[in-house]
Amino acid sequence: MSTEPALMSLTAVASAIAEKRLSSREATQSCLDRIAKWQPHLNAFMAIEPDEALRAADAADAALAKGRRRGPLHGVPLAHKDMYYEEGRVVTCGSRIRRDFIATTTSTAVQRLKDAGTIRLGSLQMAEFAYGPTGHNAHFGPVHNPFAPDHITGGSSSGSGSAVAARLTFAALGSDTGGSIRMPAHFCGVTGLKTTVGRVSRAGAMPLSQSLDTVGPLARSAEDCAVLLGLMAGADPADPTAVAGLVPDYAAATAEPIKGLTIGVPGAFYVDDLDAEVASVLDATIATLKREGAKVVQVDLPDQRQLSGAAQLVLAVEAAAFHKRWMIERPQDYGAQVLMRLQNGLAISGVTYLETLRWRGPALAAHNAATAGVDAVIAPVSPVPAPTIAESDVGGGPGAEAVIQRLTCFTRPINYLGLPSLAIPSGFTRKGLPVGLQLIGRSFDEAKLLRIGAAFQRATDFHEKAPQLPLA
Amino acid sequence: MTKPTEKEITAIASAAGVPVETEVAARIANSLGPAFDSFAAIAGTLPFDLEPSTFALVQTERAAR
Repeated sequence: MSTEPALMSLTAVASAIAEKRLSSREATQSCLDRIAKWQPHLNAFMAIEPDEALRAADAADAALAKGRRRGPLHGVPLAHKDMYYEEGRVVTCGSRIRRDFIATTTSTAVQRLKDAGTIRLGSLQMAEFAYGPTGHNAHFGPVHNPFAPDHITGGSSSGSGSAVAARLTFAALGSDTGGSIRMPAHFCGVTGLKTTVGRVSRAGAMPLSQSLDTVGPLARSAEDCAVLLGLMAGADPADPTAVAGLVPDYAAATAEPIKGLTIGVPGAFYVDDLDAEVASVLDATIATLKREGAKVVQVDLPDQRQLSGAAQLVLAVEAAAFHKRWMIERPQDYGAQVLMRLQNGLAISGVTYLETLRWRGPALAAHNAATAGVDAVIAPVSPVPAPTIAESDVGGGPGAEAVIQRLTCFTRPINYLGLPSLAIPSGFTRKGLPVGLQLIGRSFDEAKLLRIGAAFQRATDFHEKAPQLPLA
Repeated sequence: MTKPTEKEITAIASAAGVPVETEVAARIANSLGPAFDSFAAIAGTLPFDLEPSTFALVQTERAAR
């Protein structure tokens, strides 16, 4: 066991607490100690609640001493993106508009993790209303990348990526509407799972786009993501879009080898105009997967630019509809870039919007046909490693949309298709910036992605590299 | 489908109840132009009977296999 409990994985700390080799208080205090050291450098937390967290940890330890283990994550401290409602708590959604908003319900995803025994460290920073891929926030400042603090974390789950990477929390919930889990996972060197649309209930999660929003974890490994997904997935009376049926044993899937699986590499789009170091990481990862027994073949996917355009139109309209009232009453309370992007949705007619939704079924069917012979597709999350905070601080300027689209060009098509995608740490640049790749699966086949991701992580140690203080 | 002009955007935004200035309409037209261009080959070509719910059907058909 590491001498610093916060450096343990989610599954390891949960086991240590359950077996009374470690107390919840020790685990929680270790996270709080790291938060105190790192928060001034990262700005990853929106709220830090040390007293409450330690009280909850003591209660968890007392319960365990009496033989009352609440669930598989009994006493494990976590923090989540500040858009998951918890009754009686302020949930800012990264915004000025909701700076004092107190939730009256608790999100299903968070409740299920609480039912499993987790306790709360506080809440994590995010892009305003989850509408930004860089990690900038006009109201609360940018979140910094733990591996290079002058570089972005990616967004919108910026605090989740930064805090998990710096080992301030054992895992965190994010959300992914256009890449918001995978981008921070890629830029910060953590594992992030964008779930299939319908896999995890969205009840009590701040909405951005009802067609594209997904709930998922960022953690230190595929194994940890599997445990979290298994606890959260499944039907929910509060969210009719959450699909019923048996929830697979995701954790068990991570123990399976990948010999005999077939992984597709796109012949175009996802391999075009890549940064040389991202391309090199892709090649090396493919070689590793082959060594682990996977068969790797080229796949020819349908036109991804059409999917990306459709995703952009759907998101623009749905976000504008959610925000219409505040756009009328409080436009001055938005950051310039977020208001600009919300206004985009005003330009799209109802007919065009419905056409983008009507095409979603045939587009998914075409993708399924193109990938019928493979178990997963591997692709970069973004064409580039993390840019600097300064060079990506485009605000609401005329070039902002182009910067955003460049960063997210490889994630948006997957959101339009509603597919699961697992971002895994796959290497580092010469400058020390993490590079992540995404494994894209079939609808509701997260288990296969987690299996491949875990096999890759057994063969590599990129996911185990923690950033160090002092930061440069 | 062609991307909307500034004038059309001004009209659509007004009809949506959130009027925008001319320069905002111009900026929106520029921002969304690539998305409209990308989707242009699909717009106006979809079969008559196709409903948005087809997406959920395709999702679950594939998953059931």
